[in-house]
Amino acid sequence: MIAQSEVANRYLTMAKTFFGTSHPLFNAFGIEIDEIGKGRAVMRMPCSVALSDRHGGLHRGVVVTLLDTSCGLAIFSRLGDMRPIATIDLRVDFIREAPPGEDVRAEVECYAMQGDIAYVRGKAVVCQDDALLASVSGSFAVGTLGPAFDTTATKGTE
Amino acid sequence: MTAPGAEPLPAYCAGLSELQKQVLDDTPYVHFLGLKVSREDDGTTCYQLCFREEHIGNPLLRTFHGGILASFGEVVASLHVLEEAGMQQQQPLCTSLTFDYLRPAFSGTIRAVPRVVRSGRRFIVVSVDIFLDKSHVSTGRFIYAR
Repeated sequence: MIAQSEVANRYLTMAKTFFGTSHPLFNAFGIEIDEIGKGRAVMRMPCSVALSDRHGGLHRGVVVTLLDTSCGLAIFSRLGDMRPIATIDLRVDFIREAPPGEDVRAEVECYAMQGDIAYVRGKAVVCQDDALLASVSGSFAVGTLGPAFDTTATKGTE
Repeated sequence: MTAPGAEPLPAYCAGLSELQKQVLDDTPYVHFLGLKVSREDDGTTCYQLCFREEHIGNPLLRTFHGGILASFGEVVASLHVLEEAGMQQQQPLCTSLTFDYLRPAFSGTIRAVPRVVRSGRRFIVVSVDIFLDKSHVSTGRFIYAR
């Protein structure tokens, strides 16, 4: 699906630098990238007992974490680099709880960029049947505190 | 099942209602987060979260992940709703959250202060302020349906 062009490959390398084996949270959550590019990111994670609510489905806090992460990746793909970004605000509507045992997918697009602010919107669905779980919208500050995440990854490749 | 690195829930939850204890006990993700609940001398409930590697958002700055902060806020808000709204039977459903990130939440122990904004017949609105030491790092608003 992806990795068909060099650009897509570069995004994927970029994302894996950040979301790869070295990130403890993404490791613990088992987050995987399905799709990335042109301001859009699709990520998915498996249901796990440790991250579930009282009913055995992924906890809504976990869904928010997956959505927030996807927002970041969508912005990186629109920027074309990994300048540091920070969430300004996030709004999540919970349509329904994640069903027990079901994997969840987040689909987010960065639909606007104005000055140093990136705007995102998206949703979380059940992987198996695309049932809507939650919708998200938010804004992020671009070029915030700290070094870029791809300082080592893109050096010499431009 | 307890997540690796997660701390066992405190046995000193004195003063918590049965339903609150049940929710704490039965929610594996609360164990994963490592939420600490204790009672202050003045009777208020104190909610804390100690930074762990699994909470990392930005690995270069070692800050809490935005999703972890929102999770912490929601877990605290839902426990507070049980306490304040006098809910004994069932856990209210969170229908939406709005979360503002005010400052970077660097590694350390963060503290959540919940407050019921309005408790109506159908909906309960709760706000949660999160502090790192004295600095106000984020604030969230959560809506629950009874």
